[in-house]
Amino acid sequence: MRSMKGATLFHWLAGCGLILAGALCASALGPWTDARLGPLPSAAAGGALIAFLFAIAFYRCRWLNRRSQIYLESLAQMDPMRAVDPADFPRLPASHPLADAARRLQDLFVAVGERLRLLEQTNAALEVRAIRAVQEAERIRQVFMGLSDPVFVANQYGELVLINRAARELIGLKDDEPAGGPLAEAINAPKLVDLMTATLRRPCGSTRAVELEWHLPGQPQRWYRATACKTGDDGRDAGVVAVLRDISDRKALQRRHAEFVSAVSHEMKTPLAGIKAYVELLADGDADDEATREEFLRVITSQTDRLQRLIDNLLNISRIEAGVVEVRKEPRSLNEILDEAARVVRPAAEAKQIDLQADLSPLYLGVAADRDMLLQAAINLLSNAVKYTRPGGRVVLRSRMSDDEVRFEVADTGVGLSAEDCEKVFEKFYRVKKDKDMASGTGLGLPLTKRIVEDVHGGRISVESVLGEGSTFVVTLPAAGQRAVQTQGERL
Amino acid sequence: MSKSVLLCDDEVHILRAAEFKFQRAGFDVRTAADGLEGWEQILARRPDLLITDWQMPRLDGFGLVQRIRAEESLSDLPIIMLTAKGFEVSHEELRAHWGVRAVLAKPFSPRELLLRAEELMAAAAEPAAPVTTAGS
Repeated sequence: MRSMKGATLFHWLAGCGLILAGALCASALGPWTDARLGPLPSAAAGGALIAFLFAIAFYRCRWLNRRSQIYLESLAQMDPMRAVDPADFPRLPASHPLADAARRLQDLFVAVGERLRLLEQTNAALEVRAIRAVQEAERIRQVFMGLSDPVFVANQYGELVLINRAARELIGLKDDEPAGGPLAEAINAPKLVDLMTATLRRPCGSTRAVELEWHLPGQPQRWYRATACKTGDDGRDAGVVAVLRDISDRKALQRRHAEFVSAVSHEMKTPLAGIKAYVELLADGDADDEATREEFLRVITSQTDRLQRLIDNLLNISRIEAGVVEVRKEPRSLNEILDEAARVVRPAAEAKQIDLQADLSPLYLGVAADRDMLLQAAINLLSNAVKYTRPGGRVVLRSRMSDDEVRFEVADTGVGLSAEDCEKVFEKFYRVKKDKDMASGTGLGLPLTKRIVEDVHGGRISVESVLGEGSTFVVTLPAAGQRAVQTQGERL
Repeated sequence: MSKSVLLCDDEVHILRAAEFKFQRAGFDVRTAADGLEGWEQILARRPDLLITDWQMPRLDGFGLVQRIRAEESLSDLPIIMLTAKGFEVSHEELRAHWGVRAVLAKPFSPRELLLRAEELMAAAAEPAAPVTTAGS
């Protein structure tokens, strides 16, 4: 602005200088022109010269003004928010008194444009980061809400501030009900409240854990391991997060394991008690006669056999469950295996006057079987049927082809099982109470049979029974290959 | 007059061994195959000593002890418990709260069982010490 004023003043001074110079020339030449042209023409010439000089000054000013106007209009049309290409920037002629200022203005525009471009890039990056942060927060919220483990978050004042869906379900809170308030009021589990409160009093980063039971109305009792962690710093941002892990299955497994160990212990100690007692009676000379001594020795032998059977069954089940048993499956005739099982059990059936019938299919029933193990399973079922059928009863062994499966069943007219017993009869060491009156057993025969059928041979076993009328154990196995459609006669 | 003992166990061989040992020692022995049968025999005629297993069908040994202690006339009946459950059963609780005089773990020694029974019978036969009061 200052330079523009200076330039205008300069042009006015230059115009005045020219007029003054014209006047001086006219006065100097006046005597000469007066001598030749007379005084009037001389004055006219001087005036014309002055007018000419005025005209030059006038048009020079107009040109400068016009160029400035064009420059300013071009400048006004430029978008100050866009980066400027120096080639597109309006220019003033080099002779223009404002040319230097225009160049500095151009440099300023370019610098500002560059700064703007950088700001725009930064802004765009920030917007992307903000969008990503929002998306991330939403994702974290969804993950948090969807966690299957209940999570409780409390602030430094011991007030519940955040819980996920699983935690809501646990404390019986509906989706639209707000969660909050003092922990003791919001959570109906004193042990968890105590854990979170105690953790809140500890240094940040401290972790404490407890196992607790949770009773939900109408649902089985659940067990949780609650782990609480002090978060934030020890000041205003402190808080506590408690995560509950459902350990009901682990607890059930521990309970089953303890029950199993207890049952094994009991089942082993019982025959051992018999052996020890009778050995001591013999050692103390309590048996006065040979018959008594023989009776005691028979008991010792039978209890030793019982212990042996128990250990064998236990080992077989354990091996199958651990997958370390050596299984040798080969194409076998199911009828041959069943025939042999019937031969093994028949003496025991005859001793009890039980009619053991073998109603085997005339078809060749091929199975991919470990012969010894499947034979053991069939013997177990037949022995059980004979054990729990009263003298004069009947046990029937049947085999049939069924689509792409083969099945055999052992039906008896024995004491039968209740619905509850039918569900539990394949559990280890489960013995039907009244069965104990009828026959000795380890409570492992049927569990072992189930493992052999289902785990080793990929089949199924089930039982149907009517209390007091009898039971039918049904075993279904996958048929093996094309030979299954051949008749026994053709095979031979 | 011989002392009477009631043996309760669902294992027939255990029952037979204990019965044999106690009969030879001059006891009047009765046997029961479970807790319920034992309870019926006790109601029919009170024995001088009850020896019972823990795990039995129908009514287990602990259930039998509870029934006995709930009956005032049987509150002083000496009881020995046999169990194959080992450490699962709190012997102290059985002694302190249920008046079970001895808990023997299976496998047990018939000789030791008889010895404990005779000790209990001898202790029961001794006259109770006179109660002295301050200043008397």
